[in-house]
Amino acid sequence: MVADEPTFARLMVAAQDGDKAAGNVLLTEVGVWLERYFRRRVPPHQIDDLVQEVLIAFYTKRATWDPSRPFLPWLAAIARYRWVDHLRKVYKHDAKELMDDDAVEDSEEEVVMARVSLDRLLSGLPEKQARVIEMVKITGLSIREAAEKTGQSESLVKVNIHRGLKKLATMVEEVE
Amino acid sequence: MTMEKQQSREALIAAMAADMAPVQRVKPSQGAALIAFAAVVASVCCIAIFEFWTGQITGDASPFFWITNGLLLLLGASSVSGLVSSALPRVGSRGNAPFWSAGMLALAPISAFITVLSWGLNNEHAHHAANVMNDPATWYWECGVYGSMAGAIVALAAVLFLRRGAPVSLERAGWLTGLAAGSLGALAYNITCPLDTLAHVAFWHTVPVLFWAVAGRLAVPHLIRW
Repeated sequence: MVADEPTFARLMVAAQDGDKAAGNVLLTEVGVWLERYFRRRVPPHQIDDLVQEVLIAFYTKRATWDPSRPFLPWLAAIARYRWVDHLRKVYKHDAKELMDDDAVEDSEEEVVMARVSLDRLLSGLPEKQARVIEMVKITGLSIREAAEKTGQSESLVKVNIHRGLKKLATMVEEVE
Repeated sequence: MTMEKQQSREALIAAMAADMAPVQRVKPSQGAALIAFAAVVASVCCIAIFEFWTGQITGDASPFFWITNGLLLLLGASSVSGLVSSALPRVGSRGNAPFWSAGMLALAPISAFITVLSWGLNNEHAHHAANVMNDPATWYWECGVYGSMAGAIVALAAVLFLRRGAPVSLERAGWLTGLAAGSLGALAYNITCPLDTLAHVAFWHTVPVLFWAVAGRLAVPHLIRW
Protein backbone atom coordinates (compact mmCIF):
# COMPACT_ATOMS: atom_id res chain seq x y z
CA MET A 1 0.00 0.00 0.00
CA VAL A 2 1.27 3.45 -0.88
CA ALA A 3 1.37 6.15 1.81
CA ASP A 4 -1.29 8.86 1.70
CA GLU A 5 -0.86 12.63 1.44
CA PRO A 6 -0.79 13.39 5.23
CA THR A 7 1.77 10.62 5.82
CA PHE A 8 3.95 11.86 2.99
CA ALA A 9 3.72 15.43 4.26
CA ARG A 10 4.60 14.42 7.83
CA LEU A 11 7.60 12.36 6.69
CA MET A 12 8.75 15.13 4.39
CA VAL A 13 8.73 17.74 7.17
CA ALA A 14 10.87 15.39 9.27
CA ALA A 15 13.18 14.67 6.32
CA GLN A 16 13.63 18.40 5.66
CA ASP A 17 14.68 18.71 9.29
CA GLY A 18 17.33 16.02 8.76
CA ASP A 19 15.58 12.98 10.29
CA LYS A 20 17.42 10.06 8.64
CA ALA A 21 14.91 7.36 9.68
CA ALA A 22 11.98 9.38 8.36
CA GLY A 23 14.03 10.08 5.24
CA ASN A 24 14.55 6.37 4.66
CA VAL A 25 10.84 5.58 4.99
CA LEU A 26 9.91 8.57 2.86
CA LEU A 27 12.33 7.67 0.05
CA THR A 28 11.06 4.09 0.02
CA GLU A 29 7.43 5.24 -0.15
CA VAL A 30 8.23 7.82 -2.79
CA GLY A 31 9.93 5.06 -4.79
CA VAL A 32 6.76 2.95 -4.65
CA TRP A 33 4.59 5.92 -5.61
CA LEU A 34 6.90 6.74 -8.53
CA GLU A 35 6.88 3.16 -9.74
CA ARG A 36 3.11 3.31 -10.00
CA TYR A 37 3.27 6.75 -11.59
CA PHE A 38 5.61 5.57 -14.34
CA ARG A 39 3.99 2.19 -14.91
CA ARG A 40 1.63 3.63 -17.51
CA ARG A 41 4.11 6.10 -18.90
CA VAL A 42 7.26 4.23 -19.86
CA PRO A 43 8.15 0.65 -20.84
CA PRO A 44 8.77 -1.60 -17.79
CA HIS A 45 12.50 -2.01 -18.34
CA GLN A 46 12.98 1.78 -18.05
CA ILE A 47 11.00 2.24 -14.85
CA ASP A 48 13.69 1.52 -12.28
CA ASP A 49 16.18 3.78 -14.02
CA LEU A 50 13.65 6.60 -14.12
CA VAL A 51 12.57 6.06 -10.51
CA GLN A 52 16.21 6.35 -9.41
CA GLU A 53 16.59 9.55 -11.46
CA VAL A 54 13.53 11.10 -9.83
CA LEU A 55 14.61 9.94 -6.37
CA ILE A 56 17.92 11.76 -6.86
CA ALA A 57 16.08 14.86 -8.09
CA PHE A 58 13.67 14.58 -5.16
CA TYR A 59 16.56 14.31 -2.70
CA THR A 60 18.52 17.17 -4.28
CA LYS A 61 15.54 19.51 -4.48
CA ARG A 62 13.78 18.57 -1.23
CA ALA A 63 14.21 22.12 0.06
CA THR A 64 11.77 23.37 -2.58
CA TRP A 65 8.73 21.78 -0.96
CA ASP A 66 6.67 24.21 1.09
CA PRO A 67 4.88 22.44 4.01
CA SER A 68 1.91 24.75 3.56
CA ARG A 69 1.28 23.20 0.13
CA PRO A 70 0.25 19.62 -0.73
CA PHE A 71 3.10 17.15 -1.15
CA LEU A 72 1.90 14.88 -3.95
CA PRO A 73 1.37 17.60 -6.60
CA TRP A 74 4.91 18.78 -5.82
CA LEU A 75 6.23 15.25 -6.25
CA ALA A 76 4.16 14.76 -9.41
CA ALA A 77 5.62 17.95 -10.90
CA ILE A 78 9.16 16.68 -10.31
CA ALA A 79 8.27 13.25 -11.70
CA ARG A 80 6.71 14.78 -14.81
CA TYR A 81 9.69 17.08 -15.35
CA ARG A 82 12.06 14.10 -15.22
CA TRP A 83 9.72 12.02 -17.39
CA VAL A 84 9.70 14.70 -20.12
CA ASP A 85 13.47 14.86 -19.92
CA HIS A 86 13.63 11.09 -20.16
CA LEU A 87 11.30 11.06 -23.19
CA ARG A 88 13.49 13.59 -24.93
CA LYS A 89 16.53 11.38 -24.39
CA VAL A 90 14.67 8.26 -25.45
CA TYR A 91 13.31 9.84 -28.62
CA LYS A 92 16.65 11.30 -29.50
CA HIS A 93 18.95 8.38 -28.80
CA ASP A 94 17.18 5.24 -27.75
CA ALA A 95 13.82 5.15 -29.47
CA LYS A 96 14.29 1.63 -30.70
CA GLU A 97 14.25 0.36 -27.11
CA LEU A 98 10.52 0.93 -27.04
CA MET A 99 10.24 -2.10 -29.33
CA ASP A 100 12.76 -4.30 -27.56
CA ASP A 101 11.66 -7.81 -26.65
CA ASP A 102 12.90 -7.72 -23.07
CA ALA A 103 9.99 -5.43 -22.23
CA VAL A 104 7.56 -8.18 -23.14
CA GLU A 105 9.13 -10.54 -20.63
CA ASP A 106 7.86 -8.43 -17.73
CA SER A 107 4.41 -7.54 -18.85
CA GLU A 108 2.97 -7.28 -22.30
CA GLU A 109 0.19 -5.07 -21.02
CA GLU A 110 2.70 -2.49 -19.84
CA VAL A 111 4.28 -2.31 -23.28
CA VAL A 112 0.91 -2.03 -24.92
CA MET A 113 -0.08 0.79 -22.53
CA ALA A 114 3.18 2.63 -23.18
CA ARG A 115 2.57 2.22 -26.88
CA VAL A 116 -1.02 3.39 -26.59
CA SER A 117 0.09 6.51 -24.70
CA LEU A 118 2.66 7.15 -27.39
CA ASP A 119 0.10 6.71 -30.16
CA ARG A 120 -2.24 9.09 -28.37
CA LEU A 121 0.51 11.68 -28.17
CA LEU A 122 1.48 11.19 -31.80
CA SER A 123 -2.14 11.64 -32.86
CA GLY A 124 -1.93 15.19 -31.54
CA LEU A 125 0.74 16.05 -34.10
CA PRO A 126 0.26 17.05 -37.73
CA GLU A 127 0.32 13.87 -39.84
CA LYS A 128 3.58 14.72 -41.64
CA GLN A 129 5.42 15.17 -38.33
CA ALA A 130 3.92 12.07 -36.70
CA ARG A 131 4.77 9.87 -39.71
CA VAL A 132 8.45 10.80 -39.84
CA ILE A 133 8.87 10.58 -36.06
CA GLU A 134 7.29 7.13 -36.15
CA MET A 135 9.53 6.05 -39.04
CA VAL A 136 12.85 7.47 -37.86
CA LYS A 137 12.61 7.57 -34.09
CA ILE A 138 10.52 4.47 -33.43
CA THR A 139 10.82 2.12 -36.42
CA GLY A 140 14.47 3.05 -36.90
CA LEU A 141 14.51 4.09 -40.57
CA SER A 142 17.22 6.47 -41.73
CA ILE A 143 16.38 10.06 -42.68
CA ARG A 144 16.91 9.15 -46.35
CA GLU A 145 14.59 6.13 -46.15
CA ALA A 146 11.90 8.20 -44.45
CA ALA A 147 12.31 10.90 -47.11
CA GLU A 148 11.86 8.34 -49.89
CA LYS A 149 8.81 6.78 -48.25
CA THR A 150 7.03 10.03 -47.52
CA GLY A 151 8.12 12.02 -50.55
CA GLN A 152 9.49 14.74 -48.28
CA SER A 153 12.99 16.11 -48.80
CA GLU A 154 15.62 15.02 -46.26
CA SER A 155 15.77 18.54 -44.84
CA LEU A 156 12.01 18.60 -44.45
CA VAL A 157 12.09 15.24 -42.64
CA LYS A 158 14.65 16.66 -40.20
CA VAL A 159 12.61 19.81 -39.68
CA ASN A 160 9.40 17.82 -39.14
CA ILE A 161 11.10 15.54 -36.62
CA HIS A 162 12.58 18.50 -34.76
CA ARG A 163 9.29 20.41 -34.65
CA GLY A 164 7.27 17.30 -33.88
CA LEU A 165 9.48 16.34 -30.94
CA LYS A 166 9.33 19.86 -29.60
CA LYS A 167 5.55 19.84 -29.79
CA LEU A 168 5.45 16.36 -28.27
CA ALA A 169 7.50 17.57 -25.31
CA THR A 170 5.11 20.51 -24.84
CA MET A 171 2.11 18.17 -24.98
CA VAL A 172 3.67 15.92 -22.34
CA GLU A 173 4.38 18.92 -20.13
CA GLU A 174 0.73 19.96 -20.36
CA VAL A 175 -0.52 16.55 -19.27
CA GLU A 176 -2.00 16.84 -15.78
CA MET B 1 26.83 15.53 -1.55
CA THR B 2 26.05 14.66 -5.17
CA MET B 3 24.08 11.45 -5.57
CA GLU B 4 24.42 9.07 -8.49
CA LYS B 5 22.43 6.05 -9.60
CA GLN B 6 23.28 2.79 -7.83
CA GLN B 7 23.05 -0.89 -8.69
CA SER B 8 19.74 -1.09 -6.85
CA ARG B 9 17.14 1.37 -5.68
CA GLU B 10 17.57 0.13 -2.10
CA ALA B 11 21.29 1.00 -2.17
CA LEU B 12 20.50 4.47 -3.49
CA ILE B 13 17.85 5.06 -0.83
CA ALA B 14 20.22 3.87 1.91
CA ALA B 15 22.95 6.23 0.67
CA MET B 16 20.57 9.19 0.50
CA ALA B 17 18.99 8.47 3.88
CA ALA B 18 22.44 8.24 5.49
CA ASP B 19 23.31 11.60 3.96
CA MET B 20 20.01 13.28 4.92
CA ALA B 21 20.79 16.64 6.54
CA PRO B 22 18.52 19.53 7.51
CA VAL B 23 17.77 21.87 4.63
CA GLN B 24 16.77 25.50 4.52
CA ARG B 25 13.48 25.72 2.65
CA VAL B 26 13.40 27.72 -0.56
CA LYS B 27 10.70 30.40 -0.32
CA PRO B 28 9.32 32.59 -3.11
CA SER B 29 9.64 35.61 -0.81
CA GLN B 30 13.43 35.08 -0.70
CA GLY B 31 13.52 35.22 -4.49
CA ALA B 32 11.37 38.34 -4.59
CA ALA B 33 13.63 40.01 -2.01
CA LEU B 34 16.78 39.04 -3.93
CA ILE B 35 15.41 40.38 -7.21
CA ALA B 36 14.12 43.56 -5.56
CA PHE B 37 17.57 44.05 -4.03
CA ALA B 38 19.17 43.54 -7.46
CA ALA B 39 16.80 46.15 -8.93
CA VAL B 40 17.80 48.61 -6.20
CA VAL B 41 21.50 47.90 -6.85
CA ALA B 42 20.89 48.47 -10.57
CA SER B 43 19.13 51.78 -9.79
CA VAL B 44 21.94 52.92 -7.48
CA CYS B 45 24.53 52.06 -10.15
CA CYS B 46 22.56 54.02 -12.77
CA ILE B 47 22.15 57.00 -10.45
CA ALA B 48 25.88 56.90 -9.60
CA ILE B 49 26.79 56.93 -13.28
CA PHE B 50 24.08 59.13 -14.83
CA GLU B 51 22.63 61.06 -11.83
CA PHE B 52 19.02 61.05 -10.70
CA TRP B 53 16.73 63.13 -12.93
CA THR B 54 15.22 65.72 -10.60
CA GLY B 55 12.56 66.59 -13.18
CA GLN B 56 10.48 63.83 -11.62
CA ILE B 57 10.28 65.83 -8.40
CA THR B 58 10.01 69.32 -9.85
CA GLY B 59 7.06 68.38 -12.03
CA ASP B 60 8.92 68.55 -15.33
CA ALA B 61 8.36 64.92 -16.26
CA SER B 62 5.80 64.36 -19.00
CA PRO B 63 2.76 62.06 -18.61
CA PHE B 64 4.43 59.63 -21.06
CA PHE B 65 7.30 59.25 -18.62
CA TRP B 66 4.97 58.31 -15.77
CA ILE B 67 2.70 56.05 -17.81
CA THR B 68 5.61 54.11 -19.32
CA ASN B 69 7.46 53.73 -16.05
CA GLY B 70 4.23 52.76 -14.29
CA LEU B 71 3.65 50.02 -16.87
CA LEU B 72 7.25 48.88 -16.47
CA LEU B 73 6.78 48.69 -12.72
CA LEU B 74 3.59 46.64 -13.10
CA LEU B 75 5.27 44.32 -15.57
CA GLY B 76 8.24 43.97 -13.23
CA ALA B 77 5.99 43.14 -10.25
CA SER B 78 3.87 40.61 -12.12
CA SER B 79 6.82 38.90 -13.79
CA VAL B 80 8.80 38.66 -10.54
CA SER B 81 5.73 37.25 -8.81
CA GLY B 82 5.30 34.63 -11.56
CA LEU B 83 9.02 33.91 -11.66
CA VAL B 84 9.51 33.21 -7.96
CA SER B 85 6.49 30.93 -7.81
CA SER B 86 7.71 29.08 -10.92
CA ALA B 87 10.91 28.20 -9.04
CA LEU B 88 8.95 25.66 -6.97
CA PRO B 89 7.60 22.49 -8.63
CA ARG B 90 3.84 22.45 -9.01
CA VAL B 91 1.20 21.12 -11.37
CA GLY B 92 -1.81 22.85 -12.85
CA SER B 93 -2.35 26.04 -14.77
CA ARG B 94 -0.32 29.13 -13.99
CA GLY B 95 -1.48 32.72 -14.32
CA ASN B 96 -0.66 34.71 -17.41
CA ALA B 97 -0.60 38.13 -15.73
CA PRO B 98 3.03 38.86 -16.76
CA PHE B 99 2.22 38.28 -20.41
CA TRP B 100 -0.86 40.50 -20.24
CA SER B 101 1.28 43.15 -18.55
CA ALA B 102 3.83 42.85 -21.35
CA GLY B 103 1.00 43.32 -23.84
CA MET B 104 -0.09 46.46 -22.02
CA LEU B 105 3.44 47.83 -22.11
CA ALA B 106 3.61 47.11 -25.83
CA LEU B 107 0.80 49.65 -26.22
CA ALA B 108 3.34 52.42 -25.53
CA PRO B 109 5.49 51.93 -28.65
CA ILE B 110 2.48 50.89 -30.74
CA SER B 111 0.53 54.03 -29.80
CA ALA B 112 3.56 56.21 -30.38
CA PHE B 113 4.05 54.67 -33.81
CA ILE B 114 0.39 55.09 -34.76
CA THR B 115 0.37 58.68 -33.47
CA VAL B 116 3.43 59.72 -35.45
CA LEU B 117 2.23 57.83 -38.52
CA SER B 118 -1.20 59.46 -38.43
CA TRP B 119 0.42 62.88 -38.02
CA GLY B 120 2.63 62.16 -41.00
CA LEU B 121 -0.31 61.10 -43.17
CA ASN B 122 -2.33 64.21 -42.36
CA ASN B 123 -1.12 67.48 -43.90
CA GLU B 124 -2.58 69.48 -41.06
CA HIS B 125 -0.39 67.67 -38.51
CA ALA B 126 2.57 66.78 -40.71
CA HIS B 127 4.74 69.33 -38.94
CA HIS B 128 4.29 67.41 -35.66
CA ALA B 129 5.58 64.27 -37.33
CA ALA B 130 8.50 66.26 -38.79
CA ASN B 131 9.29 67.63 -35.31
CA VAL B 132 9.35 64.12 -33.86
CA MET B 133 11.59 62.83 -36.63
CA ASN B 134 13.97 65.79 -36.31
CA ASP B 135 14.14 65.60 -32.53
CA PRO B 136 17.53 64.11 -31.48
CA ALA B 137 15.79 62.47 -28.49
CA THR B 138 13.83 60.27 -30.89
CA TRP B 139 17.05 58.70 -32.11
CA TYR B 140 18.89 58.58 -28.78
CA TRP B 141 19.08 54.78 -28.74
CA GLU B 142 21.73 54.64 -26.02
CA CYS B 143 18.98 54.64 -23.36
CA GLY B 144 17.89 51.22 -24.63
CA VAL B 145 21.43 49.93 -24.22
CA TYR B 146 21.87 51.36 -20.72
CA GLY B 147 18.51 49.99 -19.60
CA SER B 148 19.42 46.57 -20.98
CA MET B 149 22.78 46.66 -19.20
CA ALA B 150 21.05 47.45 -15.91
CA GLY B 151 18.75 44.49 -16.57
CA ALA B 152 21.75 42.14 -16.43
CA ILE B 153 21.96 42.65 -12.65
CA VAL B 154 18.30 41.68 -12.25
CA ALA B 155 18.69 38.71 -14.60
CA LEU B 156 21.67 37.47 -12.59
CA ALA B 157 19.66 37.54 -9.36
CA ALA B 158 16.71 35.77 -11.02
CA VAL B 159 18.92 33.00 -12.43
CA LEU B 160 20.65 32.52 -9.07
CA PHE B 161 17.30 32.06 -7.37
CA LEU B 162 15.94 29.76 -10.06
CA ARG B 163 19.05 27.59 -9.77
CA ARG B 164 18.37 27.23 -6.04
CA GLY B 165 14.81 26.21 -6.79
CA ALA B 166 13.52 23.54 -9.12
CA PRO B 167 11.63 25.13 -12.03
CA VAL B 168 9.73 22.52 -14.01
CA SER B 169 8.77 24.80 -16.89
CA LEU B 170 12.09 26.09 -18.16
CA GLU B 171 10.76 28.07 -21.13
CA ARG B 172 8.26 29.92 -18.96
CA ALA B 173 10.97 30.64 -16.39
CA GLY B 174 13.14 31.97 -19.23
CA TRP B 175 10.44 34.33 -20.49
CA LEU B 176 9.66 35.54 -16.97
CA THR B 177 13.34 36.15 -16.21
CA GLY B 178 13.59 38.18 -19.40
CA LEU B 179 10.47 40.21 -18.66
CA ALA B 180 11.59 40.90 -15.09
CA ALA B 181 15.15 41.81 -16.09
CA GLY B 182 14.02 44.00 -18.99
CA SER B 183 11.32 45.89 -17.10
CA LEU B 184 13.20 46.43 -13.83
CA GLY B 185 16.48 47.14 -15.62
CA ALA B 186 14.77 49.71 -17.84
CA LEU B 187 13.08 51.26 -14.82
CA ALA B 188 16.40 51.43 -12.96
CA TYR B 189 17.91 53.43 -15.80
CA ASN B 190 14.84 55.46 -16.78
CA ILE B 191 14.78 57.38 -13.50
CA THR B 192 18.04 59.00 -14.58
CA CYS B 193 16.96 59.96 -18.10
CA PRO B 194 15.70 63.52 -18.70
CA LEU B 195 14.46 62.72 -22.21
CA ASP B 196 10.73 62.25 -21.79
CA THR B 197 9.22 62.82 -25.22
CA LEU B 198 6.59 60.38 -26.46
CA ALA B 199 8.78 58.76 -29.12
CA HIS B 200 11.87 58.48 -26.94
CA VAL B 201 10.11 57.07 -23.89
CA ALA B 202 7.85 54.73 -25.85
CA PHE B 203 10.71 53.14 -27.80
CA TRP B 204 14.04 53.44 -26.05
CA HIS B 205 12.72 53.14 -22.50
CA THR B 206 10.85 49.92 -23.30
CA VAL B 207 13.17 48.18 -25.73
CA PRO B 208 15.18 46.48 -22.93
CA VAL B 209 12.04 44.42 -22.23
CA LEU B 210 12.03 43.09 -25.79
CA PHE B 211 15.77 42.44 -25.71
CA TRP B 212 15.70 40.63 -22.38
CA ALA B 213 12.53 38.66 -23.13
CA VAL B 214 14.21 37.12 -26.18
CA ALA B 215 17.57 36.71 -24.42
CA GLY B 216 15.89 35.18 -21.36
CA ARG B 217 13.88 32.72 -23.42
CA LEU B 218 16.98 31.64 -25.36
CA ALA B 219 19.63 31.58 -22.63
CA VAL B 220 17.98 31.03 -19.26
CA PRO B 221 16.62 27.46 -19.80
CA HIS B 222 20.19 26.26 -20.35
CA LEU B 223 21.33 27.95 -17.15
CA ILE B 224 18.60 26.59 -14.88
CA ARG B 225 18.19 23.03 -16.18
CA TRP B 226 18.49 20.53 -13.33
